[in-house]
Amino acid sequence: MPKVTIDAKTVEVPNGTLVVEAAKKAGVEIPVFCYHPKLASVGMCRMCLVEVGTPRRGKDGQIEMDANGNPAIAWMPKLQTACTTVISDGMAVRTDSAQVADARRSVVEFLLTSHPLDCPICDKGGECPLQNLTMAYGPGKSRFPVESKFHNEKRVPLGDLIMLDRERCIQCSRCIRFQDELADDHVLGFQARGRGIEIVSLSTPEFDSKFSGNTIDICPVGALTSRDFRLSARVWEVHDYPSVCAHCSVGCNLLICERDHQIKRIVPRENEAVNAIWICDKGRFAHHFTTAPDRLTTPLVRKNGSLQPASWDDALDAIVAKFAEIKKQSGASALAGLGGDRTANEDLYLFQKLFRQVLGSNNLEHRVGWSASNVGVDLVRMYGAGADTNLGALDKSVTALVIGADPEEEQPVIRLRLTRSVRNFGLNLIVANGRVTKLASHAKQSIVYRYGAESAFLLGMIRTILDEGLENKEFIGARVNNLDAVRKSIEPFTVEHCAELCDVKPEKIRDAARLIAQSPSFLILYGREAMAAQQHDPAITSSIETLLLITGHVGRVNNGLIALYPHNNSTGAMDFGLLPTHSAGRVKSDVKGLSAREMLSGKARALYVMACDPAADGNFTKPDLLVVQDLFLTETAKLADVVLPAQSFAERDGTLTNTERRVQLFRAAIKPIGESKPDWWIVAEIAKRLGATWHYRNSAEIMDEIAATVPLYAGVTYAALSDNVMMPRPPYGQGNPSDEPTEIAMGELENVSSGKQWLSVAESDASAKFELFWNEPRGEGREAKNELVLAVARSLYDRGTLVGKTKIVQPRVPAPYVEINSQDAEQIGVGDGARVRVSFDSRVIELNARVDGHVPPGTVLVPNNLDGTAALPMGAWVKIEKV
Amino acid sequence: MTLPDLGAIVKGMSVTLREMFNPPATIQYPEVKKPVFPRFRGRHELKRHENGLEKCIGCSLCAAACPADAIYVEPAEQTDAARYSPGERYAKRYEINLIRCIFCGFCEEACPTGAIILEHDYELSYYNRRDAIITKDKLLVPPPAPDQSTPRAIKDPGNLYAAIPPVKGGVE
Repeated sequence: MPKVTIDAKTVEVPNGTLVVEAAKKAGVEIPVFCYHPKLASVGMCRMCLVEVGTPRRGKDGQIEMDANGNPAIAWMPKLQTACTTVISDGMAVRTDSAQVADARRSVVEFLLTSHPLDCPICDKGGECPLQNLTMAYGPGKSRFPVESKFHNEKRVPLGDLIMLDRERCIQCSRCIRFQDELADDHVLGFQARGRGIEIVSLSTPEFDSKFSGNTIDICPVGALTSRDFRLSARVWEVHDYPSVCAHCSVGCNLLICERDHQIKRIVPRENEAVNAIWICDKGRFAHHFTTAPDRLTTPLVRKNGSLQPASWDDALDAIVAKFAEIKKQSGASALAGLGGDRTANEDLYLFQKLFRQVLGSNNLEHRVGWSASNVGVDLVRMYGAGADTNLGALDKSVTALVIGADPEEEQPVIRLRLTRSVRNFGLNLIVANGRVTKLASHAKQSIVYRYGAESAFLLGMIRTILDEGLENKEFIGARVNNLDAVRKSIEPFTVEHCAELCDVKPEKIRDAARLIAQSPSFLILYGREAMAAQQHDPAITSSIETLLLITGHVGRVNNGLIALYPHNNSTGAMDFGLLPTHSAGRVKSDVKGLSAREMLSGKARALYVMACDPAADGNFTKPDLLVVQDLFLTETAKLADVVLPAQSFAERDGTLTNTERRVQLFRAAIKPIGESKPDWWIVAEIAKRLGATWHYRNSAEIMDEIAATVPLYAGVTYAALSDNVMMPRPPYGQGNPSDEPTEIAMGELENVSSGKQWLSVAESDASAKFELFWNEPRGEGREAKNELVLAVARSLYDRGTLVGKTKIVQPRVPAPYVEINSQDAEQIGVGDGARVRVSFDSRVIELNARVDGHVPPGTVLVPNNLDGTAALPMGAWVKIEKV
Repeated sequence: MTLPDLGAIVKGMSVTLREMFNPPATIQYPEVKKPVFPRFRGRHELKRHENGLEKCIGCSLCAAACPADAIYVEPAEQTDAARYSPGERYAKRYEINLIRCIFCGFCEEACPTGAIILEHDYELSYYNRRDAIITKDKLLVPPPAPDQSTPRAIKDPGNLYAAIPPVKGGVE
């Protein structure tokens, strides 16, 4: 590797490294404003000017030596920007000379001529790079009269979430570059020129991006500030608690900034393996549900037909008496538990332990309101992507197939990280879906198949690999059984036939298959839309398995399967057996319990609902005993006999398992609301009253038990999970700023990761044998009917309880709509924005039409988490009429 | 008893005798109060501008400088329709715990607008610990005229500098 000497310190760095990065390695600080390690360099601010020289070569091409026998350095006549200069072998850099100090002083002085210096009222004050670098390198006094300061607009709303102060802006363009390069929303730009240059929004509505909040973090001045946090506390007064996001399944690491037991703001916590330094706006802003005024504060017991406040003892005793009575009358099989996949692992573990060990019932489920098919419980346990697979750093040796997923809306930060992998490291991305999603614009191959024929597309690829002899024969010979039977069954499915079934050109299927087979590493990310289709077509599961096994891409880092689940602990709910078919540790159970549909249709006499709201989706029959444990008085809770107030993620400790099977710890940040209790405490109290000898004093003790008894979670204790938890700001005592630097050091700590991933079977057992299965695909001909097929999507900002409590994001929640292809729209005779009536099965809903979308002809798309669009059947035939 | 001992007594008594003719140092507090030195540091006051707007902008730098953690500030955003102070920010809550306060004057030094001044009130005793926490309405000095109290709507809304009165003698 090339050697570089920076201020007499010599370091070895890889080719292509920038001087500013090499300096970090040498422990030399080069101040920057516009440079950011996650973004491309532009050299706009000139703060990083340094002296650069290269070895002097003689006429013979040999390096000349000086009097001391060291290589003579030919210094460049002028200063160079360290953020755009790439190192070369033998390069010398001086950052401590008078010339460099003078340049830095001048740059700061120049920047401050147009800066209002209103630090006392600026939200960035205390963590502001401009403040810090002015103190460190600035002149201390300006030669310019204060009257000559350039003034510009203050308090300019840039959308609903961000406030812009044009005076403070130093035009570094970090926000514009973040939006262009990573968020892929080209919504910000520069306008005018010279001193009057200003940031403007180019979109309607303004700053229309799901990642806009990240520009607050990377802004090196106080130009972009949060409208939520705005002027509500100073950054050194808040206490930071490490947490994990409560929304989607990415499990972004957060810091909750608390003051006076109120969440003042949420900022990302660096974890290169999960969210790098980014979070989406939902995670950042939609936290107000934790302290919403309508949170449940006391237990409620139904007396004389209405829910009355009661003490914990009364409520719990009422539940236990009724549980015992029903168990005596109808047996344990009449008791059922419905646990939400938004609760922590400790709660889920105790919940299933209560039912399986104390009550003796296997009626457990967590999949309410989404596909109840086998959504990869076994697939993920067998072939889950290798631990330490970093979706943000997949290079050109990796091919990733994203099938039936829309990460932009459902797992935004995964979309962001895949974009970074494609742009910066050359990941080969194949995006396959029934429509064009945002991720598809980065794909090497974008495939739009016909909804309902996902398996035909996968089979076409398998067929190509087998026909062309691209399979991994060594791996198959050693570890895969039953390939011959599959070869035989697949006989009628030629690539052309598959192509016809899924409406994709055969050459596209072959290209994708070749790319996968020839790639050293291969990842499948499959999403909710594929899971929903799986319900009707089990061939999807077997095809995914076959594709991974015949190419041998399992059990290694960057290989295997990632199932993109909807909620923050869907994986945990499966790990701990909130399933009628599997018990804790994804072990198949002998007795099959009731499914969610059976539970809700009245087959269970007693139903214990923890943190979910099945009644909101309709089709709910109230059982004899309904116990609901939740944050709010949900639709289900309104029908309940007993309602128990639970605590949100901000009030308690716990662990969550993200969609990549990474177990992460979150800590309490605020005081409990009212008399609310953690979910695990409530479950344990009920168990105790039923005669169990449970003694859990805190959630850490439950995790210790899990680590000792559930093999998947062996060794995953709180102590192990707290390793490497990065706190970007130093802790402060007594509200006083410490002497340590307060600048966010984020983005400086590449390769920081925390949390623990459990290992899939393929990974932990290098000699495991695998069985191939064959399921007949069920692709139907769609043209026959004069109707459209319904694709169910999800919107990031929904009408759910959690987002609904945050006023500031409400304008971002779309009005319910249906996306129609322009061809179909023309036939129906509707235009963009028209009101249409959508009828399917026996339901009719009225929606706004969107004709500018990305759905193919014959398909309509409706997000199912907006007003009045709950519980839509994926793949149903719909009729659309003009209102 | 020796002669030197007697001399000491006479010497001591002469001091007593001399002091009998001096005026008494005791004053009849609280009827009579001694004036304090100009730079005496007593209870804090929050000052106003000449136009009645509060000088305090809610920046919390006083709280940050306070070695005893006696000051609590909760800032908030303000608009021209209900203006407390110049600029975007004002102190929604401002409290000083006078039992904690050590009257060091660091808050005064830290204040960028000269809003908090340790004045000459030293009569700080309370029947109740809670009463020792004085709130913004007690700290704030009365407005120069009855119609200049805060919050109030200001003329020329939207003008960034409308709320800031001119500084006498130019900018420092």
